[in-house]
Amino acid sequence: MSNGHAFRLESVSKYYRRGSETVTAVRDVSLNVPPGGYIAVVGHSGSGKTTLLNLIGCLDRPSEGRIMINGEWIHEAREADLIRLRRSSIGFVFQQFFLIPTLSVLENVMLPELFSRRKNNGRARELLEMVQLDHRLDHLPGQLSGGEMQRVAIARALINSPSILLADEPTGNLDSRNAERIMGLFEQLNRNGVTVVVVTHNPNIATGCDRMVHIEDGRIIS
Amino acid sequence: MTFRKVALSNLRRNPVRSILTGLSLAVSAATLSVVLSLDRGYSSAVTDELVNKTGVHLYITKEGCPIEAASVIAQGGLSPLYVSEDVVEKVRKLPEVDVVMPFKLFSVTTDDGLRTDIFMGITEEVLEVKPDWRYSSGGWFESDSSVILGAEMARIEQLREGELMYSERFDREFRISGILERNYTQDDGIFFIPLKTAQELVGREGKLSAVAIKLRDIASMDATRNKIRAMMPQDHFVLGSKELSEGIFQFFGSTRAIMIVMVIVAAIISIFGIVNTMLMAVLERRREIAYLKCVGAGKLDLLRLISLETLAIAVAGSAVGAAAGAALSPVSGNLLREFLVAYVPSGSIARPDAGIALLAFTACVLIGLICSIYPALRAARIVPMEVLRNE
Repeated sequence: MSNGHAFRLESVSKYYRRGSETVTAVRDVSLNVPPGGYIAVVGHSGSGKTTLLNLIGCLDRPSEGRIMINGEWIHEAREADLIRLRRSSIGFVFQQFFLIPTLSVLENVMLPELFSRRKNNGRARELLEMVQLDHRLDHLPGQLSGGEMQRVAIARALINSPSILLADEPTGNLDSRNAERIMGLFEQLNRNGVTVVVVTHNPNIATGCDRMVHIEDGRIIS
Repeated sequence: MTFRKVALSNLRRNPVRSILTGLSLAVSAATLSVVLSLDRGYSSAVTDELVNKTGVHLYITKEGCPIEAASVIAQGGLSPLYVSEDVVEKVRKLPEVDVVMPFKLFSVTTDDGLRTDIFMGITEEVLEVKPDWRYSSGGWFESDSSVILGAEMARIEQLREGELMYSERFDREFRISGILERNYTQDDGIFFIPLKTAQELVGREGKLSAVAIKLRDIASMDATRNKIRAMMPQDHFVLGSKELSEGIFQFFGSTRAIMIVMVIVAAIISIFGIVNTMLMAVLERRREIAYLKCVGAGKLDLLRLISLETLAIAVAGSAVGAAAGAALSPVSGNLLREFLVAYVPSGSIARPDAGIALLAFTACVLIGLICSIYPALRAARIVPMEVLRNE
């Protein structure tokens, strides 16, 4: 990773218009995360953690400040460059899984390859083996439990071998046993060199992380 | 993993909705296919019957609506208008004229109104102006009470050459001197009798329905027509066979307009149906589409995906519709025959073919694709962070 950062935020702020009102979602945030880092972003609902995740995930540009992802400054990047970065360097895991209900488990995992134009059938199977779902390749998402669906979503997020994995409340829909299993997977991925950012409102989830970032009213407070 | 596979899998989410959307396009394709085959079929049938299958280049009729004249000439009926026999000899003397065939047409309807027989009084010149006049048995009239039957009339009456046919209306027996081969024109349904006999039966001695003229050189048609017009009394028409068919096409125009309106209405309904369906499909999947953007789907990828979904529906619906249209065209032709006010030629007035089916299919697929543009743009414009944050 260039300059020793998986990603780097310099005095980043993000404002939104809500009617006539301007809402500050993220305020003057600076954050450096090295390659292979494992951080948890913790805060209450509405504190700005998802906005921070979107900024790191190249889904949005900052209103102020600069962001570097894998050595590329993206705060003024073209949309095509952001898409390229999302395809190649970033994996997303969300609370709601977002699996396509009419595609099999294997096909769901392979889906991002459609947009990155990569072909690596073997990797999808390897990833499903890693998340211990290789016996469910042909099942549809509706035939899986919540924990299994999230494991499929993680495998899908890893299909393009991203260097950064962003997870927004990944255990929010899971019971404690499945939540532990998912967090165990993140730890395993991190040990293999993937930079992991987990956004959660539950501080207990973040105990295994290298670093915990508390955010409140859009500011990092610790 | 391919775009096609993902698109088809998306259609399986709500198969009933996909099928109904496809059916709305199928209705459009079928309507277009039927209307085109009727339009083409009618034009071809009229042209065949009035222009190609006769050797007649000009008709002399009495003044009146040319369409009425056409109907009288081709379909029968006892028109109050008539042409005097005197004109025949005058025209025959013209060097440009090859054959002159006077004829008398009338129809006889049974008292219960269920059956109408068409009689045509002819002379031997008919053999020179009707190139496909062939006998399946027998031959020309042997006496004033002879009759030659069109193939369909012989079949309906179950009569053979040499047998007697009794006409209750005229209380007269006719001996069948010949039966014509089927040639799929009005001739199949006509009783041909000697001209003098026809005039005598309806009390119109010396009077004709019209006079058909065959020219030596068709290139001289316009000049000869003008020449004959100058010779005729003011209240006589001289019509070219093409004018006759074109006049009929004009009369058919109102029917054609109604059919075109039907096609447009069907297409508009389809357009709203498809746009609505695809828009719903996009809006229901906003979060999924937002996720696809997260994993690197660009605007073009989403345009392609939504267009492929619509294309799949459009191809299936249009194929079914075009095939159904081809299958239904003959039935529609028969229905149209019942309601058509204009001249109705014999034989089928629906002529479906692969070209029409392909045209209907292509047009409806294009409509489907155009309909996908707005929903696809809506999908491409989804901002992931807004959707994922707000929903």
